[in-house]
Amino acid sequence: MKRKTVGIVDYGVGNYASVQRAFQALDYRCRTSQSPEILAESDLIVLPGVGAYPAAMSALHECKLVNFLRDQARNGQPMIGLCLGMQLLADASLEHGTTAGLGLIPGQVLPLEPVHWHIGWNTIEVVKEDSLFLPSDGEAVYFNHSYIFQVPKEYQVCISRLDQPFAVGVRRGNVVGLQFHPEKSQTAGRTLLKNLVEGLTCA
Amino acid sequence: MLKKRLIGVVTVRHGWAVQSFGYRRYLPLGKPEMLVENLDRWGADEILVQCIDRSAKDLGPDFELIKRMGALGLSTPLIYGGGIRDVADAVKVVKFGADRLALDAMLWAAPQRLETLSRELGTQALIAHMPVRINEHVLSWLNYSDRSEIKLNSGVLSDLHLDWVSEVMLTDFEHEGIAYSFDEAIPTRFPLLKKPLLLFGGISEPAQIQRLLSQSNVVGVGVGNFLSYKEHAIQRLKNNLGGMPIRAAHYADDKNSL
Repeated sequence: MKRKTVGIVDYGVGNYASVQRAFQALDYRCRTSQSPEILAESDLIVLPGVGAYPAAMSALHECKLVNFLRDQARNGQPMIGLCLGMQLLADASLEHGTTAGLGLIPGQVLPLEPVHWHIGWNTIEVVKEDSLFLPSDGEAVYFNHSYIFQVPKEYQVCISRLDQPFAVGVRRGNVVGLQFHPEKSQTAGRTLLKNLVEGLTCA
Repeated sequence: MLKKRLIGVVTVRHGWAVQSFGYRRYLPLGKPEMLVENLDRWGADEILVQCIDRSAKDLGPDFELIKRMGALGLSTPLIYGGGIRDVADAVKVVKFGADRLALDAMLWAAPQRLETLSRELGTQALIAHMPVRINEHVLSWLNYSDRSEIKLNSGVLSDLHLDWVSEVMLTDFEHEGIAYSFDEAIPTRFPLLKKPLLLFGGISEPAQIQRLLSQSNVVGVGVGNFLSYKEHAIQRLKNNLGGMPIRAAHYADDKNSL
């Protein structure tokens, strides 16, 4: 059986080594690239991201990947955004001013108040009957962020809680976003990644 | 519920993992990758690799070591400290596999750079790492590069731009390497009461870890030397921390079984 290929978007803002190793450990081929041709050939695109929103969007623009990612999502190519990569799927972010995002899932990225940061291991609760996420209900995964994706309920798949619940897993068709780092969440994270890749690419 | 963290700490000097005693005396333990791999397999909540000779000699981060650790395919969050001078260093460290950065020498040399780093990588990625001890009832902060100390009061802290870091790691450098010796007065003397704290240095016993993690502003503790001599040392510690808000002991599955 042909091994599936994961295309990891290399736009200079991300923990590519960790993401690539996680998918390779799950026996997927990985191609880390900023070439639209290479990414388009992959079975699934992963958009990693570490850092601040404006710098990340600016880097995507510089690499001329914004319209490419929008087109691929609209054409149904499976896509997973990780951490900041999930937030980039939104319409806009208020981090360090207002920055337009990819607009693939409706909603805005706002500061996490009043706690400022969400760092460490927290439990996720699956709030939608989504077979790709349900096996991960109640698992603890690793978070490291200070902004959240405020997204309409219809796109929320899983939540976590600090003072208030907030979305940490979103989905619109074949586009999925995870606020946490499944690649750094040990067995729980890798199980979820495996389910997502297999589920999103099975059609 | 957000869990408190048990952090495995690996101290590296001249490229080798060492058992450190007060950051003055060192015994070699072996390749850092070997220790890091164990901590990953044992389910540490985070792993801190601190390269203690990089800043004093202005060597920059140990990129080759970070690359080698990145190549291990760790599934545990990695914090790296040592030699980070500017944004370019920091971005490369993250690109090669670190998730967060522990900054020590920069607090002395150029604390204003914390803002630039935060705007590039996010405040959540930054930890201020401060070696301290109680000296004449006052918290004293060690400059590891020249071994000088100053009193750590609110005035000193206000110049450090610590709004741009998410957590402060207080290391009891005097007791580091000595079992069950962490000075528990240290977190109570730290002036920034709302800043989340990580504690390290002489922390080895479950009872002590329970007392430290019971403090509301302490979000994690680091354990170093004392993890090096027993298989599954992290799981053993966690299993003895009943009732604490920490993640249960995790036993890695065979990666191929997923």
